[in-house]
Amino acid sequence: MPRLFDGYSAHPAAWDELFNRTGAPHAHCATLVDRLGKLKHNEFQLKRSGADLAFVNQGITFSVYSDRRGVEKIFPFDLIPRTIPAAEWAALEKGLVQRVQALNLFLYDVYHEQKILREGVVPAELVLGSKGFRKEVVGFRPPGGVYVHICGTDLIRDVDGQFLVLEDNGRTPSGVSYVLENRAVMKKVFPQLFADIRVRRVEDYPHRLREALASVAPAGAGAPPCVVVLSPGQYNSAYFEHSFLARHMGVELVFGADLFVHDDIVYLKTTRGPQRVDVIYRRLDDDFLDPETFRPDSLLGVPGLFRAYRAGNVTLANAVGTGVADDKAVYPYVEDMIRFYLSEEPVLKNVPTYICARPDDCAYTLAHLGELVVKAVNESGGYGMLMGPSSTAAQRAEFAEKIRENPRNYVAQPVVTLSTCPTWTEEGVAPRHLDLRPYIITGRSTWVLPGGLTRTALTKGSLVVNSSQGGGSKDSWVLEK
Amino acid sequence: MISRVAEHCFWLARYLERSENTARVLEVNHTLLLDFHVPVEQQWRPALIISGIHDYAEEPTAERVQAFMTWDRENPFSIASSLAWARENARIIREVISAEMWERMNHYHLWMQAPESRELYDGNRSEFYAEVRRINQLLHGIADATMSHGEAWEFFKLGTYLERVSQTARIMDVKYHTLLPKVEDVGSPVDNAHWVAILMSCSGYEPFHKKARAAPMDPATAVAEFLIFDEQFPRSIKRCLWECESATAAAAGNPVGRDRTKPERLIGELIAYLDARAIPDVIREGLHETLTHVVDSVHRIGEAVHAAFFAADVRPPGSGVRPGPATVTQSQSQS
Repeated sequence: MPRLFDGYSAHPAAWDELFNRTGAPHAHCATLVDRLGKLKHNEFQLKRSGADLAFVNQGITFSVYSDRRGVEKIFPFDLIPRTIPAAEWAALEKGLVQRVQALNLFLYDVYHEQKILREGVVPAELVLGSKGFRKEVVGFRPPGGVYVHICGTDLIRDVDGQFLVLEDNGRTPSGVSYVLENRAVMKKVFPQLFADIRVRRVEDYPHRLREALASVAPAGAGAPPCVVVLSPGQYNSAYFEHSFLARHMGVELVFGADLFVHDDIVYLKTTRGPQRVDVIYRRLDDDFLDPETFRPDSLLGVPGLFRAYRAGNVTLANAVGTGVADDKAVYPYVEDMIRFYLSEEPVLKNVPTYICARPDDCAYTLAHLGELVVKAVNESGGYGMLMGPSSTAAQRAEFAEKIRENPRNYVAQPVVTLSTCPTWTEEGVAPRHLDLRPYIITGRSTWVLPGGLTRTALTKGSLVVNSSQGGGSKDSWVLEK
Repeated sequence: MISRVAEHCFWLARYLERSENTARVLEVNHTLLLDFHVPVEQQWRPALIISGIHDYAEEPTAERVQAFMTWDRENPFSIASSLAWARENARIIREVISAEMWERMNHYHLWMQAPESRELYDGNRSEFYAEVRRINQLLHGIADATMSHGEAWEFFKLGTYLERVSQTARIMDVKYHTLLPKVEDVGSPVDNAHWVAILMSCSGYEPFHKKARAAPMDPATAVAEFLIFDEQFPRSIKRCLWECESATAAAAGNPVGRDRTKPERLIGELIAYLDARAIPDVIREGLHETLTHVVDSVHRIGEAVHAAFFAADVRPPGSGVRPGPATVTQSQSQS
C-alpha cells in the first residue's frame, strides 16, 4: 500500500505550497509532510470519508435551492492543508491592512471631496460611471466612518512564490464559515497534527466581527447595540453561512420581512412587539436593500431602510456604495490609492491588469485574447470570464464583440500560473492550483483572520477555483513562530 | 424573539409530533389488528382520516395506506413530508436551536432518504415505526437538555402539545366512530382489541392500567375518560391543554392567567368546557360532538397563536400607525 506522498510529482512550472524545486518539503512544513507522509492511502481515505460524513451530518452545505425540496451539496474539502510561515504572514497581514485602509479612505473621498479624481490619479469617469457608485450616499458619512467592514481579498502566489492580489471583495464576501468549519473538522480528523505543529487559531472571527460591528453602532444605539445579520432567506446559496455567523456571534438572523422602519428607525418584529435595531450585517447587495430607493421589484429588503441609514439611525455593514471599490476596473488603481492616501509603498502588488476602458489596453486585450484572462467587472463567482489559453475561437469572437460593445465592462489579466498544493485526486495525490482569500475586519481598528479560505481547483490543470465552478477548499495554516 | 423564528419553532415541534403520531397509528394498525377481523375499509381508512385525508381514491389496503402515509412526499401528512418539513424549519432556525439538536434532526432527515430506512421498513416494519417515534422523543430530550428554556423553548412546547391535543382527539374520534358507527353504541361492550388499539395509538396502555379506579367502568368509557380527562397522562387532552396554557403564558412573559393573550383565553375556555363535564355527560352529549369541539377549538387556538405572536402587531412605541404588512406566514398545511 503506497504512502500519501509516494510518487507525487509537482507541477513543472508552478510554485508548490509544500515542496521546493528539489522535491524536499519547504523547511516550515517539514513536520507536516513527515506526519502526513506516514499515512497509507487507505488510512488517508478513511480520514477523508470521516471528514465528508462530518460535513454531511452537520449540513455544512451550499448550492442554490432549485425548488422547495432543493439540493444541498457539501463544498468538496481536501484534507491536505496549505501552510504559510509566520514571517510571510506578517508581511501579508501588513499589506492587507494597508490595502483596506486605502480602500476606506478612497471610498470616503469618492463620496466627499473627490480629491483623487480631481488630481487625476484615478479617472473620474471610471469611478462615477461604475455600477457600484451610489450617488445616494454622496456627502453621507457612515456611522464610525467605515465603509468596508468586512473585506475578502483574493490572493494568488506566482511561479516565484510571491503573493499578488487578484481582486478585493468589498461588498459581501462569503466563505468564512467554511474556514471555521474546515478547521473544526481538521482538528477532529488530525488531533495529533495540531499538537505537533503550532497553527494560529481562526475561531476568534465571529467574536471579532461582532465587536467590530458594535464599535461602529450609530449614536443613540442601545448598550450593547442590537446587531443582526440580514439574509435574503433560506433559499440563498450562502444561507448556511448567514446562519453560522449569527449563531456564532450570538445575534439574531433576520430576513427583510422581519424588519420594518418607522420614523427613520429600524425595528425588528418580535413576539412581544418591536425592538430597535442598531447595526445590520447585511448579506444582500445594495440593489436589494430597500425597494423605495433601489430596485422597486425586490422583496428581499426593507422599505425605508435607506432613509433610516441616511438619517444616521442604523449602521449597515458593509456600507452602501462600496461596490465602486469592488469594481474590477477600479482595482488596478489600489496601489496608487495607497501611495496617494497613505504616502506609503504598497506591500502587496496587484496582478497586472488591462482596463478595456483605456483604448490602448483595449486594443492590446483584443489582440491577445488567447493569452489573457478576461473578466466582466461586475461579475463574480467565475461567471462572465474568458480563460484565453483554453478558449475556443468562437468564445474569443464572442468576447471580442462584447468588449467592443462595452469596453468599460471588461478588464484582462495575463494568465498567472497559480501555485499548487498536493491534493487528493482520483489518481492519488497530485498538484492542483489554488488561491487564498483572507478576511479583514474593520471597526475602530483593523484585524486580519490568520489564514483564510483556500480554494482549490479540482480538475487537473484548471486555474478556476470558484466553488460555483466546481472548486474545493483546504484548510489554510498560518504557522506560529 | 423574532416572530418568524417563533413560528418556525412552533411548526418544527408540530411536524415532529405529527410524524410520531402517524408512526404510532400505523404501527398499531399494523401489529394489533393483523389478526383482527374487520373489513379492510374499517381497518386502514381510519389511519387516513386521523390525518384529515378524506379523499383517498384508491382501495385502502394495508400496504397502500402505509406507503402513502409513510413515504409519499406528495402527501403533506406522510411521515416523510412531516420530517422533511420539520427539518426545513430546523434548518432555517439552526442558529436558534442547539447544534446537537440540528445535527440529530439532519441525521434523521438523511436517514429517511437513504436506503437503510427503506430496508428497515421492508424488513422490520415495527422497528421502523419505533425508530420514527424515537426521532421525536430523542429530539425532545436533546432540546430539553441543550436549549435554553426561554421563549423559543416555550413555542416548541406549545407546538408539541397543541398538535398532541389535536391528535389524541382525532384518534379517539375516528377510532370510536369507525368501530362504533352509532353514537348511542358508545359505552356498550366492545371487543378488547378496539380500546386496546386506541390506548396504544395514544401510547396510553400501561398508564391506563396503572390507574386506580374507584368504581368499575366499562372499558370504552374508561378509556375515553382517561384520554380526555386524566391529569397526569402526558397525552390526555386536559393535560396537554394545561401544558399549552403554561407555554402560551410563558411565551407572552406573563404568569398563567395574568394579562391573558387571546390564545391563552381560548385555551382557558376549552379547559373550562371540559372541567364542566364528567365522562357520563360526554357520553350523553355525544363523544363525537365533544371531540369535534376540541378539534375545532384547537384550530381556533392555532389561528390565535398565529395572530398574537407570529403576525404580531408591529406598532412602534408611542404611535398610532401600523406600518407595513406583518410577517408573512409560511403556507404550511394545518390539520
